[in-house]
Amino acid sequence: MAVCVAVIGKDNSPLYIGGIGNDTSTDNELSRQWLVHTALDALEERLATTNANNTGSNTNTARTDLRDLYLGLLYSTDTHKIYGYVTNTKIKLVLVTSSTSPSGSNIRDSEVRTALRRLHALYADAMCNPFHLPGDPITSSKFDKQVKNLMLNNV
Amino acid sequence: MADEIVFDLLHSEIINYALDQSKDNNDKKEVDLSVVEYIGFAAGYKIMERLTREWPRFKDELDTMKFICTDFWTCIYKKQIDNLRTNHQGVYVLQDNAFRFLNNFSNGHQYLEYAPRYVAYTCGLIRGGLANLCINSVVTAEVQSMPSCKFHIHVQRT
Repeated sequence: MAVCVAVIGKDNSPLYIGGIGNDTSTDNELSRQWLVHTALDALEERLATTNANNTGSNTNTARTDLRDLYLGLLYSTDTHKIYGYVTNTKIKLVLVTSSTSPSGSNIRDSEVRTALRRLHALYADAMCNPFHLPGDPITSSKFDKQVKNLMLNNV
Repeated sequence: MADEIVFDLLHSEIINYALDQSKDNNDKKEVDLSVVEYIGFAAGYKIMERLTREWPRFKDELDTMKFICTDFWTCIYKKQIDNLRTNHQGVYVLQDNAFRFLNNFSNGHQYLEYAPRYVAYTCGLIRGGLANLCINSVVTAEVQSMPSCKFHIHVQRT
């Protein structure tokens, strides 16, 4: 379902960008980078409103779902939809689906949520690798393989 | 529990190792615990990614500190912090009345001079955990009477 997923660090530097090559417009690294980074502004904006709502109206219990780590659809272009997820540790996870392919166009929100949660679990495992320094790009081939699996399996 | 004693013994061996190293490097009396603190920092940083996975986003700093006192402490020391105090200006004091690494040593002032060695790792652990949550801090510990220990967290504002 997903054509590309990315892990973005605290300082907006890409830690990992992976895609699968069944979609020609996301086949190369450059367009993946572009796709993912177009969504970052929308992501920051979403986070800022979340914080403003929390400090502004603590009594509003309906707003508690804004504390959810999953931020939903951030941005959509003619060909792609971009979903975001920000962890408590300010790591941003971005998932891109293609709206032209049949499997990506009618994807449900809950599926994306589960996929991003699983990606978060994979990321947490990759962090626990003692050879990985926080803030460095993730070079683990195991992580790469698991993420590719996640993208292909449509959850 | 068997896994707890393994952690306790490994922790004390790390301290012995660090003491040996600093003895080789300089023959001064002071003890270099920065390496122990750093090991704690790295562990705290990594463990935080795992612990906060199922949690909703933290509202503010105090919310984060409460998390440290309850879940973080329970995960590592199988108990909660007994007392949390703050001046609402970035200073937090966490008090543990029966700190696990000191619990078996004495019940008063005996061995008090060795206490700093056994709290350095935990200071690093707290600092690393907070650093991963984007809170830069300085953590110090204070032991006045043996099994009880106070951790002072000074949050660095930019």
